[in-house]
Amino acid sequence: MSEFRILEIKQSVFADNDKQAEELRKELKKEKTFLLNLMSSPGSGKTTTLTKTIAALKDEMKIGVMEADIDSDVDAHTISETGAKVIQLHTGGMCHLDADMTKQGILGLGTEEIDLAILENVGNLVCPAEFDTGSSKNAMILSVPEGDDKPLKYPLMFTICDVLLVNKIDVMEYFDFDLKACEERAKKLNPNIKVIPISAKTGEGIEEWAQWLREQVKKWKEA
Amino acid sequence: MHELGVVIEVVNVVEKFARENEVEEIDTVVLQIGELSSMIPKYIREVYPAAVDGTLLEGSKLEIEILTANGRCQACGTVFPLVKNEGVCPTCGSSDCEMLCGREFYIKEIRCF
Repeated sequence: MSEFRILEIKQSVFADNDKQAEELRKELKKEKTFLLNLMSSPGSGKTTTLTKTIAALKDEMKIGVMEADIDSDVDAHTISETGAKVIQLHTGGMCHLDADMTKQGILGLGTEEIDLAILENVGNLVCPAEFDTGSSKNAMILSVPEGDDKPLKYPLMFTICDVLLVNKIDVMEYFDFDLKACEERAKKLNPNIKVIPISAKTGEGIEEWAQWLREQVKKWKEA
Repeated sequence: MHELGVVIEVVNVVEKFARENEVEEIDTVVLQIGELSSMIPKYIREVYPAAVDGTLLEGSKLEIEILTANGRCQACGTVFPLVKNEGVCPTCGSSDCEMLCGREFYIKEIRCF
């Protein structure tokens, strides 16, 4: 048996993933495909929000959706009815998507035809925040029934997101949800975060959100 | 409980490193985790045996070093440990501080044959 050794690695666990994410971002930039990483808890209304978002934008740009779930394809079916190109990604028990899985999804979707690719990440506010997917921008949905204290409980998620969609504002009066307090808490963690209150059900706020996406896709294609 | 996916990532990195350095058997893996990382050492220890099963790391020991989270007060500039002071500057009492470190999650080293 050889002698006992200590080998220093000194590497962040996320270093490999960060590198792959950076490469994917560069590729997408070249292909002029904007990738949105959409995250939230289960049941916050991601799929309904997406359906409304696609309806608002589908006449102006080609949209592709990657549905990431641990199992099943119910969300992919719902999205396919909007006419957008959709593929289902199964994480096989993993609670998040990493850059490599996202790349496989992008390859499956094909970038030639896609202006806006949306990754519907696994419903979870913890792990998806740790893994850079290679996205152009990150957005998250927080729904009113979840409570306005979520920025305090899941700080990293709010730190890495460019947009916070506060969904289900149509039922705000039935819950003790303080929109102002929620926004203040999110901005304390991330002064640049844009907060857009929406109701995917009634359509309120969807236009403001769609407008933000329009501008981002345009910027991504220009530079 | 999201540690398993991340620990599997640790296993991938260590296995790759071990192959490149012609390591045949790993005795101990040493991780460094920031106090304010979302990785909980207790859960990392619990999922470790499952994550290393069938890999080069199978049977290896796990050591975790905790790194103190420090912040700098935005009002008076004092650098202080965040957790012990609950985010409040011990010099001037301001809670407006910038986090300097504490979210790390590093693989420090492996001890091996």
